[in-house]
Amino acid sequence: MADKVICITSGKGGVGKSTVTANVATALAMKGYKVVAIDADIGLRNLDLVLGLENRIVYDIVHVVEGVVPPEKALVKDKRTKNLYLLPAAQTKDKSAVKPEDLVKIVEELRDKFDFIFIDSPAGIEEGFKTAVTPADTIIVVANPEMASIRDADRVVGLCEAMQKPEPKLVINRLDPKKVARGDMLDVEDVLQVLNLDLLGVVPEDKNMVSYINRGEPAVLFEESIAGKELRNIAERLLGKDVPIPRWTYSESFLDKLKKLFGSE
Amino acid sequence: MGFMDKLKGAFGKPPAKEVAKKRLQLILKYDRAGLPPNAVEAVKEAILKALEEFPFIDTSGVNIHITESENTKGKIEIEVPVKNG
Repeated sequence: MADKVICITSGKGGVGKSTVTANVATALAMKGYKVVAIDADIGLRNLDLVLGLENRIVYDIVHVVEGVVPPEKALVKDKRTKNLYLLPAAQTKDKSAVKPEDLVKIVEELRDKFDFIFIDSPAGIEEGFKTAVTPADTIIVVANPEMASIRDADRVVGLCEAMQKPEPKLVINRLDPKKVARGDMLDVEDVLQVLNLDLLGVVPEDKNMVSYINRGEPAVLFEESIAGKELRNIAERLLGKDVPIPRWTYSESFLDKLKKLFGSE
Repeated sequence: MGFMDKLKGAFGKPPAKEVAKKRLQLILKYDRAGLPPNAVEAVKEAILKALEEFPFIDTSGVNIHITESENTKGKIEIEVPVKNG
């Protein structure tokens, strides 16, 4: 499979890299694929929290790099989803503890044992980002439909090109259909006109996301989650299925417009 | 916000997303070319000043813009028209 090693990156922090990684990895494992998610954010690990695995960590990626344990021994088995594993980041070291060639070596050792290897990149465009991107066959850029996130995503795309990596695919995260309808937020077509990338998915704002993360339960586990549904569809698209991408054009009712005009909202 | 402000907002200003898109398109043009946003204006001013001493040049028609380039990050193209007659 060409899309086996997938790096999820963004430039800007806080746009939902770890959430997208945890959910898409979970969705693929739920379908029976063997999946490992590598947290490459050394010193600021978070992927364990989104998956609810923080209490099960014994070894981390720096132990693997230092030769203390082989990669397989450092993997944390997911508590709910069969076939899903986490390779945690170290919380005490910094980005220099894992070099690009170290991550390439770890990925090579895991490649034959998994159907998908996800790499959750740190924010920024420095060495940690470069390490995360180096082993990837496919790069996913996560961006929110807002100015700083889109500008940073474009920087990341330029850097991937300079590293001679394939052009990243775009996931727009936290699009709010109501704000789009009001003309306050960039819509999907606006973002595509500015960034000009292949679109992989558009995840809507989901008021329940904070509680899924607080509980350490990925949204894809819940049928009723609107973000979870699109995250499951992103997994399907990675498998080559042609699932239409929602544009989330919410048409404001006449009553909504009146309410807004008269200030009752 | 009062009713009149809302009316003004609804009919006067362009939607925020249009402003955002225009700003982003401009910002990314400069980011991709590796140039600070005011670079083109600054270069244009300097060139116009240098061209003043040549009477056969139509300085009002000098056109300057950024384009993409194969070999470098970006390229500044300058058109300098010669006066008619």
